Amino acid sequence: MPDIREVKSERLGESYFEIDHPSGLKILVYPKKNYAATYAVFGTRYGSIDTEFRLNGEEKFTCVPEGIAHFLEHKLFESEDLDAFERYAKTGASANAYTSFDKTCYLFSCTGKFQESLEILLDFVTHPYFTEKTVQKEQGIIGQEIQMCRDEAGWEALFSLLRAMYKTHPVRIDIAGTVESIAEITPELLYKCYETFYNFSNMVLCVAGNVTPDEVLSVADRLLKPQKPIEIERKFHREPREVAESYTEETLSVAFPIFSLGFKEAVETPERSLREILISDIILEAVAGKTSAFYSELLEAGLINTSFESEYFCGYGYAAWIFTGESPDGREVQKRITARIRALQESGISKADFERIRKKLYGRSIMQFNDIDGIANAMVSAYFCKEGLFDETEILQSLTLDEVNARLRTALQTDCASLSVIKPEGE
Amino acid sequence: MSVQPEVTQIGEKLRLLQVRTENTKTTCISVLLLMPLLENTAENAVLASFLTHASAKYPTLSKLNERLEELYGAILSADVSKLGEGYRLRFSITCIRDDLALSGEQLSVEALRLLLELLFSPHAENGLFDRAQLETEVRLCAEDLESELNDKRAYALSRCLEIMCADEPFGVSKAELLEAVRAVTPESMFKAWQQLLREATVSVQVIGNVDFAPFENMLHKALELQNGDRAPAEIQTVFVESAEDVTEVTEEMDVNQSKLVLGFRTGMRDRDDGYFAMRLMTDLFGGGPYSRLFMHVREKLSLCYYCSARLDRNKGIVMVQSGIERKNKDAALSEIKKQLKVMQNGEFTDEEFAASKAALCDAFRGLGDTPEGLDVYFAQSLDGAVCTPEDMVKGLAAVTREDVVRAAKSLTLDTVYLLAGKEEAENA
Repeated sequence: MPDIREVKSERLGESYFEIDHPSGLKILVYPKKNYAATYAVFGTRYGSIDTEFRLNGEEKFTCVPEGIAHFLEHKLFESEDLDAFERYAKTGASANAYTSFDKTCYLFSCTGKFQESLEILLDFVTHPYFTEKTVQKEQGIIGQEIQMCRDEAGWEALFSLLRAMYKTHPVRIDIAGTVESIAEITPELLYKCYETFYNFSNMVLCVAGNVTPDEVLSVADRLLKPQKPIEIERKFHREPREVAESYTEETLSVAFPIFSLGFKEAVETPERSLREILISDIILEAVAGKTSAFYSELLEAGLINTSFESEYFCGYGYAAWIFTGESPDGREVQKRITARIRALQESGISKADFERIRKKLYGRSIMQFNDIDGIANAMVSAYFCKEGLFDETEILQSLTLDEVNARLRTALQTDCASLSVIKPEGE
Repeated sequence: MSVQPEVTQIGEKLRLLQVRTENTKTTCISVLLLMPLLENTAENAVLASFLTHASAKYPTLSKLNERLEELYGAILSADVSKLGEGYRLRFSITCIRDDLALSGEQLSVEALRLLLELLFSPHAENGLFDRAQLETEVRLCAEDLESELNDKRAYALSRCLEIMCADEPFGVSKAELLEAVRAVTPESMFKAWQQLLREATVSVQVIGNVDFAPFENMLHKALELQNGDRAPAEIQTVFVESAEDVTEVTEEMDVNQSKLVLGFRTGMRDRDDGYFAMRLMTDLFGGGPYSRLFMHVREKLSLCYYCSARLDRNKGIVMVQSGIERKNKDAALSEIKKQLKVMQNGEFTDEEFAASKAALCDAFRGLGDTPEGLDVYFAQSLDGAVCTPEDMVKGLAAVTREDVVRAAKSLTLDTVYLLAGKEEAENA
């Protein structure tokens, strides 16, 4: 019998089950009463930044082409006979997959035939099939995907900024890689990556919605054979404190100049805790959130429009404070944001602002518990970060203004900044 | 779970739609107003953001946002979109359920109060909208319209629609709209706002796990006040039954990937005419990964990353979109036409037909799970009989292969638009 524990949140009146499956896979099941649909995600902690790694006992790091995690995601859908989409077509489930900087997830949602669909998911993700011919075919499709992304102004602006901020960390490379890098991908390399990262000890299965743990387990017990856990060592890229370039610009056919401003945080350890992330979110709201007089000033001065956003951007070995938007004068926006941060570091965030922002984040964190796709994907992220799904609402309640102001003064360094500008043609 | 909306007609073309959802964490409230597309289009576009950035009681954006934060980060949003040849203004607020507030606040009622306040008591004086705010809003609205250029897929679709429907209100061009937006005045805005409340078809949607009674009272009061001199406008959409010949337009831009858009007339005479069959046909043709376009244009020929078809029932058109290399335009175009022939000849397999039906029905069955999903669903139609997600499932389930073939046969190609990359042309 697998070990099943219930994790509850009294505050939210919600709960889910955490299961250590004998195969070595962690399974999380979140039943939602009165829901018609079920959403399942099978995820591996393997993303675009995992380009250098070694297994416990190996001497040298293995180095693989950029974009291979995403490539593998595309190829896993194929098998010797029917591909996964053709199989899902029989159950009516809606299936998809995505690759990010640090994970790859395979998912489906359905309102009926859940067990049949789960069987397909567990089966195809655990049965790779890569050949020269199928690899070649995919290079055409992904080549078009890469071209498409290069035309997407927001995407291009982000990577232009990341290239300016980071000298060595692979976060600077597009998730799909480049047309050149994916040309180096071979079936052997795909198998090597698969065998490393698609080990159950590096994966999680999360299911939310109209489902019970038993329904998940009866399929999992049948399909998942025990695997020997492995230990993967990811290279911790010692990224220099300084940015690669403080200013960069390029031209695209956009309506207005787009700026991306990033303040690079010096990180001594690979990962940020959920507490640090939430504090950072509060700081960003206080600096330039829609409630701040500063935001209105920028708006009224014609320096930003409603596309203005901020984000605390972090992952294994990198962290940055990012502001993006459309502006006729990105350098002026940078000047003002820098001055704003310095002034706030001087004065500290006020108690009233802190409480209001905390209340907002608390509400937003509760709103996430409506959508089963949001819940299932949040379970994957939380598990890979070794956090509990309900920790966010609890941590928010326990934060103090002092620790927020302390982080504002230490982690947000305005001297390590990059500004990237995407200019319209002909300017 | 079965979705049973309670619909009350409060006045002429003025309805209240309430849906109770169990076990959900939010309450979603929307006020939807539908005007004829060409009536004050520019003013209405600006109104959507003007009314949700300030009000008499909250005269600045900061003040209004402070209020939203006090309501536990309630999400306020507004937008405009074409619904056939109607222009729909959507004002929505979503907040967490009352019992999840930390000090027992009545969040849902407060959220509705705020939404009504924004709509009915704008930042205005003596029949004029606030000039300073308006200046900012005009810039924001114009920049928002222009920014569509950043999304090449959306831009190419809009251009194709403008060309295809140039002689119908639906083809109203972005350029014309932009010019009109820049010309709005505090006076024209105030008049458009009054006209909106008087002439729009209105639907108020309250969806969530809440006690509806206080909402009904507040809404009746607020809407009855407005109901006195209401004179709702008729909204009619031109349905062109078939295309006479094919218009081909290529425009160049400095892009890496070219966008091919095909516009078809469906032969539908109104939004309900043969709708279920047309919906299923469109899905089988270019919906999910089991569809003809995905399987052939993408998977078999590797011509693109996406190739899909979408039905706009409110206008009776089907649009096919694909991102390709310029040199592959003819190959992609001929394959798309070939796949339509397959549909018209009934040469799709029983498995494909069943897959499409199963997937579509599945998607509608899951809609009732969240207030947000239902809000978007019901906002698609603001008057006439209410069709629940279950009705959709029933309607789709009854469609036969023959119905699909008939629907496919009634498609005629109207416009082929290519947004072509410049550099590719030189290499080609």
